[in-house]
Amino acid sequence: MIPALAASLGLDPSDPAFWMPLLFMGLLFLLVAGGAVLDGFDLGVGLLLGAAPPAERTRMMILLSPWRDANEFWLLLGAGLFFAAFPFAWGAIAGQLYLPLTLMLLGTVLRSVSFEFRLRANAATRPRWIAGFWLGSLLTAFSHGLLLARVVTGYADQPGYLWLALFVGVCAVAAYALLGATWLAMRVEGLLQRAAVGWARHATRWAAAGMVAVSVVLGLANGGVFYKWSNLSDLVVAAAIWGVMLACFVAIEMLLNRMARGQALGLAWLPFALSVLLFLLTLGGLGYSLFPYLILDDLTLWDGAAATGSLRLVLAATVVCVPVMAVFNVLAYRTLFGRERGAEAVAAASVPRAG
Amino acid sequence: MEIAPLQLARIQFVASLGFHMLFLSIALALAWMLLFFKWRARRGDAGWMAAYRFWVRIFALAFVLALASGVAVLFQIGSLWPVLMERIGNIAGPLIGFAVATVFVLKSCFLGVMLFGQRRVSDAAHTLSVLMVAAGMLLALFWVVALQSWTHTPAGAALVDGRYQVADWWAVVFNPSLPWRFGMAALSAVLAVAFLMLGVTAWQARYRPAAPGEKAAFRTALVAAAAAIVLQGAVGQGLAGNVAGHQPAAAAAAAGYWHSGAPPRTVLFGWPDAAEQRNLLEWSVPGGPYWLGRAADGSPLGMDEFSGMLPPVPAVFWLLRTVLALGALMLLVSVATLAWPGRRGLDPDALPRGWLRVISAMTFSGCIAVVAGWWMAELAREPYAVYGTVTLSEVAGTATFGQLAWGLAGYGALYALLLAAFVQMLFHAARYGVVPVRKGGARP
Repeated sequence: MIPALAASLGLDPSDPAFWMPLLFMGLLFLLVAGGAVLDGFDLGVGLLLGAAPPAERTRMMILLSPWRDANEFWLLLGAGLFFAAFPFAWGAIAGQLYLPLTLMLLGTVLRSVSFEFRLRANAATRPRWIAGFWLGSLLTAFSHGLLLARVVTGYADQPGYLWLALFVGVCAVAAYALLGATWLAMRVEGLLQRAAVGWARHATRWAAAGMVAVSVVLGLANGGVFYKWSNLSDLVVAAAIWGVMLACFVAIEMLLNRMARGQALGLAWLPFALSVLLFLLTLGGLGYSLFPYLILDDLTLWDGAAATGSLRLVLAATVVCVPVMAVFNVLAYRTLFGRERGAEAVAAASVPRAG
Repeated sequence: MEIAPLQLARIQFVASLGFHMLFLSIALALAWMLLFFKWRARRGDAGWMAAYRFWVRIFALAFVLALASGVAVLFQIGSLWPVLMERIGNIAGPLIGFAVATVFVLKSCFLGVMLFGQRRVSDAAHTLSVLMVAAGMLLALFWVVALQSWTHTPAGAALVDGRYQVADWWAVVFNPSLPWRFGMAALSAVLAVAFLMLGVTAWQARYRPAAPGEKAAFRTALVAAAAAIVLQGAVGQGLAGNVAGHQPAAAAAAAGYWHSGAPPRTVLFGWPDAAEQRNLLEWSVPGGPYWLGRAADGSPLGMDEFSGMLPPVPAVFWLLRTVLALGALMLLVSVATLAWPGRRGLDPDALPRGWLRVISAMTFSGCIAVVAGWWMAELAREPYAVYGTVTLSEVAGTATFGQLAWGLAGYGALYALLLAAFVQMLFHAARYGVVPVRKGGARP
């Protein structure tokens, strides 16, 4: 496949002008997937603050804090890499997305600042920063749905697509809530776990509806993607992915059902793992369908990439960042799975006094 | 008055950039001040350590705001000026990439140790991490200013088929205005933080005797303020000469000088009126400012040479006068305090209450000057996005007036809220001490 692609561009596979954009695209995909999942559960817990009883909210914020530093970096790194490696696509894409991007940025800024300011605020104003974190999470999650809807429809702006965008926005909120709720259900015990299982059950169906809508629209609204999928070997892959996604949803539903009745708590990690898998499959399918385009049937990643000389400099910066990123993320996320640790539980329990 | 979408996009970009640069400047200069406090505290001096403990919290707040608003500016470059990257992507891409990489490395490797690891690592390692954070922030500012100064004096690259192709990276980065603009950015950051520190400490000293840590901060800030303002005078002269040479339209607008060849006057006050091509209510003295562009025969270039391609004249004119007036005030206050008879100026408790009131009234003067300075630099380049070649109207996007108005309202509300929260938390901390921060969880 690689030589064929290179040949279609009239380039040698070992030509930097060919492989550097490809490499950056792969890295960018990793960053997007990492951000969607790892910043995603953070976002989901933020969303659930609105549903949680006030007494549990501080505990939920504290649960997030070990990963906050790492989580908030995915967006900046992803944006930085996209900007640096594919500058000619950056404006073309961002210019089409003014409103959803504005919503996302307002949400992201509010989220980052609220989380850090809450740590340093006096007790009286902390609930306000928690509310800010919730609102920021809601704006961010909803805007991710809007962005996704715009991307899969090829930036079409007929009125009918507005409803699709709103629907996908709601579903994205549900999908992140699912991720956050299953993470919480794995992380904590007792009443909060019970509540998290209930939230996850509500969120599952909407998340499933959203993922179906996105894949159907992606196929039907874009001739190129439809053509790609109708190829028999691709169709088998696509069908297999849809089968796995369906199985994930069914398994999540069954597990949550049991957990709601207090059974299968030993498998509390599984719904979260399956939700992560669902996110990765959705993104993988999307990436596969779009590849090698950045804007469907219009702008390939080679069209969007900077001149080779500039890419070399970006590569140098990347070579510095990737090892740092690897070490930093392994250190930060090695405790992601599993139960709340003793230190966290103590910190959570001592919150009223610390306030 | 009709407002075009382009105007809204300009306002939004300049406002966002100003917010980001304000907090980037505060965080940058505070990091260097903190390094100094930490170094002075190496023998266990409680006063310097107290100063460190207090200001490191303010640093953390400013850093968060700078980081978050930096992401917003990064996206706005694309969403407000979609065609800009098409033109300058080969240059902006790597420079912004370096800035992001620098911030990433400094934050993931050193910031956590600086803010949360003081008890877990040795004192030397902690001081080293403060140094790395400070150096990293300076480097990040360098990349940003490299790009910003290049858009003023685009060197080392050629516009081929609507796209800048780099011929010489060295010439791109070290373009003719970089040294002046980088110097200005760094010095104005120091000045902003120095006056923030002076003002807050003076405010505290008005109500109770200053603690040793507050006295230490006051002394440091006073010396830093006086040094920064004097140096800034020198760098400012250089920058004015640079602008006169490369951007005569901006120089003429800043001077309020309309008609080429007329004997130039130094305009102290007035309202430049583009329709009448003169300054209303002008109050000026004879003898021209030296910072006017010159034609080949040495006669000064006025704004009539650049009709239709002028920056927003009243804004540039008045922002310059705001910066100069604030600079003069800050020079006066810092030098007068430093020269207070009997060296009492170094001790806030020894200063009269009225003078403390003056100093605390100046708390945000440096911050305002930072924002006004960045705004002036951005506006003076207009109508260009890259001086002389790419105009803003050519790179503007398709977002409608309504969309931009909602976006602007959203950013305005959020940034006002965050600014208010920052000021409130600063003064709350100044009054009641810092809130102990505990980071829950099992951080390695």
